[in-house]
Amino acid sequence: MIEIEPHHLIRCPHCDAVNINKTKKNRCRRCHSDIYPYSNFNTEKSWAFLVTAMIAYIPANLYPILITNKFGVIEENTIMGGVISLWEHGSYPIALIIFFASMVIPIMKFLILIYLMISVKYPIKKETKTNRYKLYFFTELIGPWSMIDVFVVVLLMALIHLSSIDIFAGTAATAFAISVVFTLFAAHAFDEQLIAGKNPKGEI
Amino acid sequence: MKIENEEDLDNFVICRRCHTLHKVLPLHDGFKACCSECGALLYRFDSRLVEHGLAWSMTALLFFFVANFFPIVQIEVLGNTQFVTIPMMLEALFEQEFYIVGFVCLFIVFLFPLGTFVIYGVLFLLLFFQKGERSIGKLLVLLSHLKPWNMVDIFLVSILVSLVKLIGYAQIHIGTSFWALVLFVLVDIYINKTLHLSEIWILQKVRFKKEIE
Ligand SMILES: [Zn+2]
Ligand SMILES: [Zn+2]
Repeated sequence: MIEIEPHHLIRCPHCDAVNINKTKKNRCRRCHSDIYPYSNFNTEKSWAFLVTAMIAYIPANLYPILITNKFGVIEENTIMGGVISLWEHGSYPIALIIFFASMVIPIMKFLILIYLMISVKYPIKKETKTNRYKLYFFTELIGPWSMIDVFVVVLLMALIHLSSIDIFAGTAATAFAISVVFTLFAAHAFDEQLIAGKNPKGEI
Repeated sequence: MKIENEEDLDNFVICRRCHTLHKVLPLHDGFKACCSECGALLYRFDSRLVEHGLAWSMTALLFFFVANFFPIVQIEVLGNTQFVTIPMMLEALFEQEFYIVGFVCLFIVFLFPLGTFVIYGVLFLLLFFQKGERSIGKLLVLLSHLKPWNMVDIFLVSILVSLVKLIGYAQIHIGTSFWALVLFVLVDIYINKTLHLSEIWILQKVRFKKEIE
């Protein structure tokens, strides 16, 4: 017979098995993965990834993402410029999709992650843990959708490669891809267990 | 709360969205259990999961093959017709020396989806023949690391967006592969996004317990 408190139970992120939180390092009883491999320094790691992602996001917006050469006339488009020109041409749904994927989602994800990382250190009493878990789950769910703009540039380049119109990916495409990938890293390094208000050493 | 041993924890489940603890209740075939707090899917029960899983992963691989080796679109600019396949798109990126974006796309669009469904296929085959309990565990852990990088659905939306952007420049005809890709994404959503790996872990436990008895 083992007597346990329900709040000592944790979920393995790799196989969903319910485990007893034995403080310090936990190894999942079912899949043998470490449940929090970065238990002491994961907030720092997560911050480092997030800052990299935010820095990469600046050139992603300032530099052109798409360069078109139409019969010798060179046209450069930034992400926002592309959205505006799509809107002016009347492609409203596509303009909205790009706007959400490249502007709203990345910025929202930065803000939510910053908020979560701060709130884990300085908890606000009114706010429930359940809400923070839901917020984290939400960022994981929407995050990858910001890859749309990178894919679109890649597709356009490939689609027109051989014809008289040339389309090139600008510096922004690389910067944007780096930003998205590092945001994903930041979210993964962020330890869900921290949300529960347990400190990194595992004391409860 | 009292339990006999750690194995008894299999009778509990923690919601992946809101982290509420629930007790596992037996379900009828084909039914699913949802979280009472947030409504997220907790687990399902399908008595023929191995056969279904095997069939779906084979279908997915078939669609993946068609989607990659036949043209996705055919574009016409000033009388020049060009067929475009997914490997051609990746090649164009490397030709223009966009190595970082090229590698990101190669992994996300090609290697990860292919790897995921090959692993699913092997997993369900092993379960079907009741062999390799250990390898099943290792494959399941590998799969859990691959899952977050699965973005074929996003890629499909990107194709639609770029086609709309191209309307001003060229005439576009959608190829066979496009429909194969749509079907692949649908199977991917069904298998990769709604099937929880925990269901396969439970299956592994059930299958190999029977053998010992
Ligand atoms: Zn586990
Ligand atoms: Zn829930």
